[in-house]
Amino acid sequence: MRLVYIGLLVSAVAASSTTQAQPSILGGTREDFRRYCAGCHGNAGDGQGENADYIDPKPRDFTLATFKCRSTPSGSLPTDDDLYNTVRRGLVNSNMPAWRPLADVQVHQLVEYIKTFSPRWKTEKPGTPISIPPEPAVTTDDILAGRALFQKMECWKCHGPEGRGNGPSASTLTDSKDQPIKPFNFAASSRFKCGSTNEDLYKIFMTGLDGTPMPSFADNFKGDDAWHLVHFLRTLQQEERPEKVVWQQYLSTHQGQLKPIGPDGGGQ
Amino acid sequence: MMRAIGAVVLGAIALAPSAPRTKILAGSVSGTVTFTGTPPKMKPIDMAKEPSCAKQHATPVETETVVAGPNDALGFVVVYVSAGDMGTAATQTVKFDQHGCQYLPHIQAMHTGQPLEITNSDQTSHNIHPLPSKNPEWNKSQPPGAPPIETKYDNAEFIPVKCNVHPWMHGYFAVLNTGHFAVTANDGSYTITGLPPGKYTLTAWQEKFGTQTADITITGSETAKANFVFKATPY
Amino acid sequence: MLLTTGILGAILTANVATGTTAFRAYTASLNATAHKSKSIPAFARKYGLRCSACHTAWPELNAFGQAFRDNGYQLGNDRDSPIFKDASYLPIALRITPQWHEESTTNQTVDAVPGDSSVKVARRLTTHGFDLSGMDFWTAGTLYKNISFVLLFSSDPFASFHFESAFIRFDNLANSPWLNVKFGKFELDNMISEKRFLFLSNNGGVYQSYHFVPVGDNTGFGIGDNQLGVELAGHNKNSYTRYSASILSSSDGTPGLPTGNSYDAFFTFSQGFQAGALGVERIGAYWYLGQQSSLYRTSGGAPIAGSGVDNKSFYRVGLSGDLYAGPIEFMPFYMHGRDDPYLGTSTPGNQALPTGAIGPQWNAEFLETHEYLNSRFVLLQRAEIVRMSQQALPGTPTSLGDIDAYSFGGRWSPFMFSRAGLAVHAEYSLTRTVGNVPISGDGVGLPPLNPTGSVWSSSLLFAFDFAF
Repeated sequence: MRLVYIGLLVSAVAASSTTQAQPSILGGTREDFRRYCAGCHGNAGDGQGENADYIDPKPRDFTLATFKCRSTPSGSLPTDDDLYNTVRRGLVNSNMPAWRPLADVQVHQLVEYIKTFSPRWKTEKPGTPISIPPEPAVTTDDILAGRALFQKMECWKCHGPEGRGNGPSASTLTDSKDQPIKPFNFAASSRFKCGSTNEDLYKIFMTGLDGTPMPSFADNFKGDDAWHLVHFLRTLQQEERPEKVVWQQYLSTHQGQLKPIGPDGGGQ
Repeated sequence: MMRAIGAVVLGAIALAPSAPRTKILAGSVSGTVTFTGTPPKMKPIDMAKEPSCAKQHATPVETETVVAGPNDALGFVVVYVSAGDMGTAATQTVKFDQHGCQYLPHIQAMHTGQPLEITNSDQTSHNIHPLPSKNPEWNKSQPPGAPPIETKYDNAEFIPVKCNVHPWMHGYFAVLNTGHFAVTANDGSYTITGLPPGKYTLTAWQEKFGTQTADITITGSETAKANFVFKATPY
Repeated sequence: MLLTTGILGAILTANVATGTTAFRAYTASLNATAHKSKSIPAFARKYGLRCSACHTAWPELNAFGQAFRDNGYQLGNDRDSPIFKDASYLPIALRITPQWHEESTTNQTVDAVPGDSSVKVARRLTTHGFDLSGMDFWTAGTLYKNISFVLLFSSDPFASFHFESAFIRFDNLANSPWLNVKFGKFELDNMISEKRFLFLSNNGGVYQSYHFVPVGDNTGFGIGDNQLGVELAGHNKNSYTRYSASILSSSDGTPGLPTGNSYDAFFTFSQGFQAGALGVERIGAYWYLGQQSSLYRTSGGAPIAGSGVDNKSFYRVGLSGDLYAGPIEFMPFYMHGRDDPYLGTSTPGNQALPTGAIGPQWNAEFLETHEYLNSRFVLLQRAEIVRMSQQALPGTPTSLGDIDAYSFGGRWSPFMFSRAGLAVHAEYSLTRTVGNVPISGDGVGLPPLNPTGSVWSSSLLFAFDFAF
């Protein structure tokens, strides 16, 4: 029993000797960053961690304040929620883990710490999140309209006519650091870079994935156009989804009536 | 009462001495930019992947990294004042067009904050993707018939511009701190006007060969001469 | 080796002897210089994460590492399958700890005159020198999406190897993190893992509670020993809520079916919650229901392995916690144990119990604290007690077998990358066992001359612990 008391005393002494500027986990936010993040993102947050050379896609360079997954327009800074969600959710098809078990306060502090790597956060405010209209019902016309947009906006040039990531321009794509990059293959993946819901998909092409060839189409869509495209894109995936059910029904009765998507295709 | 005040005001104006009509002296500088040595060969661009653009060019266009003109002239060199009176910001809109799957002009120079208008005159979609490091990076799709994109840049830098869909397209935004700049024509010549008297350092920037500087002094309204010679290397 | 002959030998020997026996069933590879490691630089290499991302201080797991492990060693980014890795990537890691240590144990029964066994005295024995630990040779990872495996090949310092862990796990059955099935030999789902802990010395490198068996008791079980069986486990998405239910062979993890045809059961449950700036706190409960054969059939008088019958039961039950206050981690633990009177008195099942024999019971507690000065430097300490609350035989001194143990130390890593690990380790541990040999195995292995005498055993360790 004596020993237990001695043990507690030693712990108390040790605790009081720790000087931390902020109440935080396991040694402060900088220590958290070095513990969890710096192996890839680098101690200076520049994406030059010791493992960066062996990773594809490369880890984010925080000094440029350019982020893929945002709710704000292309070129603007993300909101704190955007960064929090990216840390929590991870990035599929990349080495960025989903840091789910970390305490909330840890993740919030890491988000603040990430901002210290770029001077843009001092002079600029985060962009205004785009407004997302309510999602319309999935109907045949809605998917056909989405298909027409897929043709007209020339998504197929990178993503391919079936969304398999094999469009004519796919092989020459490079990201903003001149690293080769592949367009998303809808047929192979159930989750998108920035989430797995329809709303996440909506945000991807309405804000663009900054730092990659994926542009923002916010200036080119009006009304429910974007939702039509979301519903059409869902039919390109393998999973059973309400969009696919509607689409399969249409295809079974209108076999061969659609012009193929591509350079000669007029969509419908 | 009001009439009396009005009269006093009018009188004051009438009696105020008029400002002396002095002419504001402004000189200019002009010159030619040339190269020595062997520049790299420009390659013809194969636009087969974009037939709507390919057919706009009877002969394939060449890459524009080094645009060499007659007598070893260098076109698309940005000449600007890097020290001295910086002039005022121009307010008229500069334009940047995507035409025949090329950027026209290849290099567009502008003052920080100067309005920039980007248009797409082609039958195909382009995505306009400037790659700055000191300014926010954005990437927007511009289908045919889309309205122009109006934007500006607040920090000076040379920004490469590319289109991801058409990887052969390369251009630059030269965002400068000064209102005194010019881009050389195909014959390598440039002129910068409106320079008040004083000492100036001119910088010439070529996207592959780097920069050259020259110092000039303007005393009145003369046209100073400043030529630049770049060392060209084949690689 | 040690394990197989130890357990089997203990069981068989104890059954043949009559009356009380001082021999204690030696559970686990308790010699602390053998390894119990579970940190895998191979994972760091695979994913490009530093060791510190998954480990508070390797090999102890932090919350993220626990979730990674619970998920079947998968990050879940559709990049876990081996096909995404360089073909030359091998999921293999090695660990060994060259060291200098001093062991000193009091009250050891030795011959008064060396060579003459007629007169015995109690002496303190002290030895020190440079030494090696055992080695761990480990491979783990995914065979396929949601099928993971571990193979841990461990040796003692003499390069005598055994399979410490070998299992396959089917993860996320029915696409749910609540259903995972593990099959093979594995560590029990103890919240405070003895395999992934930070103490290495002879006396400090064991949790007394995890191996304690009363004096005269021949139960061959320790909750810190890896067991053979099947485990159904589940967790929520961030592994804050976890449960497990296992069915294990009553052989304490010894392969070859040496014991009888009986099975044990083990249940755990734990819940974590966020406590603001303090961190993630976890509390858990566990319950082990075990059986052991008290009689073996014989042939020509010699017991036949695998023929154990007449099963007697035992249990271990208790609570554990993993609590953070910023950079300080507290790990409290409580256990209550009880063995059947037959087991408690080492009586064969076909004989009568000694007069007044009852099932021995005891309570064990420890509190371990870690202070993480940064991700490369941790200070450790632990205080532990085991107190018999009920001796098996009347007339036994109440404190016979009681243990007090105290350890402290520190680990410092000069680098924290993702290819390999090195820790400079210093530790001091002291145990006091009443009337019995220390669990560490220090000393001559004989109980003290005076059954109520305390045996103090200390270890001082300075080591370089490295893993690749």
